[in-house]
Amino acid sequence: MEPLRPGSMSVPGMTQTTEAVARARAGDADAWGELYRDFAPAIFRFCRRALPTREDAEDATMEIFMKLRDKLTQYDETRSFSAWLYRVAANHCWDILRRRKIRQDKETDDVETVPLEHPDPNQLDKLIEQKTNEEVRQALHKLGARARMALVLRYYSDMSYDEIADELGVRRAFVGVVLLRARHELRQALEGKNALAAGGTS
Amino acid sequence: MDHLDEMTCLLYAERQLDRVRAQAVSAHAQDCAACRTLLRALDRESRLLTRAMLEEDEPLPSRLAEFQERARKSFGWIWGVVLGLSATGVYTLYTYVIEPWQVRLEEAGFGGTSLLSLLVFQGAFWKGWQSVTTLLEVLAMLTLAGFGFALFRRRLRRGSALALVLAGLFAALALPAPAGAVEFHKTEGAYELAKDDTVKSDLFVTCGRGRIDGTIEGDLFFFGQSVEISGHIKGDAIIFAGSTRINGQIDGNIRSFTNNLTITGSVGKNVLTFNEVVNLDSAGKVGGSMTAFGESVGVDGRLGRDLVVFADQTIISGAVDGGIQAKGRAMSIGSSAQLAGPVRFEGDNPPTVSSGAKLASAVQFTKAEHKSRYTEGHYYLWRVIWTAAFVLFGLVLFLLLPKFSEETVRAGERFGAPVGLGVLVFFAVPIAAIIACITVVGIPLGVLTLALWILGLFTAEIVVGAVVGNWILGRAADTWGLIGRMALGFALVRIVYTPLEHLHVVGHLVALGIWMWGMGAISLALYNRFSPRVSSGATASIPPASLPPYTTVGGIQPA
Repeated sequence: MEPLRPGSMSVPGMTQTTEAVARARAGDADAWGELYRDFAPAIFRFCRRALPTREDAEDATMEIFMKLRDKLTQYDETRSFSAWLYRVAANHCWDILRRRKIRQDKETDDVETVPLEHPDPNQLDKLIEQKTNEEVRQALHKLGARARMALVLRYYSDMSYDEIADELGVRRAFVGVVLLRARHELRQALEGKNALAAGGTS
Repeated sequence: MDHLDEMTCLLYAERQLDRVRAQAVSAHAQDCAACRTLLRALDRESRLLTRAMLEEDEPLPSRLAEFQERARKSFGWIWGVVLGLSATGVYTLYTYVIEPWQVRLEEAGFGGTSLLSLLVFQGAFWKGWQSVTTLLEVLAMLTLAGFGFALFRRRLRRGSALALVLAGLFAALALPAPAGAVEFHKTEGAYELAKDDTVKSDLFVTCGRGRIDGTIEGDLFFFGQSVEISGHIKGDAIIFAGSTRINGQIDGNIRSFTNNLTITGSVGKNVLTFNEVVNLDSAGKVGGSMTAFGESVGVDGRLGRDLVVFADQTIISGAVDGGIQAKGRAMSIGSSAQLAGPVRFEGDNPPTVSSGAKLASAVQFTKAEHKSRYTEGHYYLWRVIWTAAFVLFGLVLFLLLPKFSEETVRAGERFGAPVGLGVLVFFAVPIAAIIACITVVGIPLGVLTLALWILGLFTAEIVVGAVVGNWILGRAADTWGLIGRMALGFALVRIVYTPLEHLHVVGHLVALGIWMWGMGAISLALYNRFSPRVSSGATASIPPASLPPYTTVGGIQPA
């Protein structure tokens, strides 16, 4: 079964969600339960990828759904609910990381420095072929907070460059740079070299 | 041949280039094998990342599945709790505005047979209840304010936890007093158990003036203005009254909270009393020991075992077969006194001992010292020793309960919820324990609750220390890391707290804050752990959702 991603719902699924949102807004506890049951696993996984530890992810998931309940009245029903939900989740996780000051100042300095090197395509191809999903997930947790968040927003939440720029507070033109630098960090981590180790592992 | 830089390749793969640039890249890739390989590798990398992140490698934790149930239900019951607490707050306001507080207490009658009405509205009979009632009302007001705040802040999860405990407290207080084994009498006037009457069970009496001339085969629970017991009680006597006089016989113990207690009859076992004046008359006899807290304590009769007194003034003219331990301003031993055991007195003045008094040994007097202990070196030495002892205690606790310790510390990191809950636990648990002791729930439960509460007090500072340690060094990865942070944090808390202790009010407030914070964290962790678990089925219940082609990392764009 494919996990929920922004914009990935079928039309019947979207209709059901829209109805559940409307009922939850009216104070229907069952509708709220439906929304939670449908989206909590995906949001937990999002938090799990974005935050350093499992406990952080559990706490954040609960807090996001608490926030969600408050913000439900602000949701524009003409837009995708899951996309909106991921925005809420991304904001929350990024706030957590910011509060803990585990975002590194160095990252801010580097964000607009474009890496222009041309990697060996064959070596890169080989590296990617050899690595398993589990190894990638472990490597993700060795990245700096900004790099990890950028990759999660892009490749888990399927956010656009504009949305990522908005979330991370960087200029839209430099989102690609952030992503490329994140990929470089990831490759280093996959090769066993020290990445920007920040945030610890779970 | 010049190759494309990786940035350009990535933007191309992610469809972020404008059409002209994208066509140029595409044309180049058709001729350049290396760049084509790089584009393919970047695309594979994107897919690998997506696949790795989307893979369901771990199920939804049970805590989150359980939270779902709580979230579902909380919509309904939380409003009921809020409404109930609001009613309590409104009632409090009513009593303050409509009638003066003192008059209200004096005139309040029974509204029913609940413990709440019994304990709260009969306050006039024992002045100490007045402060307890005030405390309850303050708690209700604080709760109301807290809920208002919580609702505005929309932090329902924490509010739910707090509300659940509060609701439990109020529900427990409002439970009807059980009948059956207890004979219950209530009246605003006088109550009398006639000489020839016998109560086969426990007797629960609330009245103005009480007179017990008959026989009670169980215990007596008395709440009233005054009581005179001339009959025979085969069990214990638990008394809350302005004035108490025991002329008859009590086979068990006396536990009393009174202004005046006079014993001219006999008590088979022990006496524990909190009052202004207590007097064991010359004709009075207590088979066991007497422990008295009050202003003036007089022992003219016979005491079978030890006497422990914390009173301003202690006067002993009777016989004490055990030892005497007294603390207060003054002590006087009359000429008719016969003291079989050692006598120790700590006070402002040496005791006055009449020449006719018969003592087993000389009185050991210790002058009470009021000078500041903070100027003495050994005070700080002991502080260090105590700090080390607490750290050791914390180490043992953390090693014994590593998971729970971690959960507690994590709960403590959320400042608002634990402090809010801590305020409640700090005040409400002792009240509930005392109520349990003196009413129908049972002394063992009350004592156990109090013991746990005291343990919580000792543990609170350790929890706060661990939270502070985590703040400084970041979260620990394992138990020993947490212990190290606890030790550091605890020492720092002590270092900060010690000079504050000189400023008495500030010191007390800081200590209170630490206790409430720590106890709240423990309570929160306990709540999280023991709240009902719901099986984790959420992961299996994700509705089917079709995933359209992943457009942004969908491969090399055709030229």
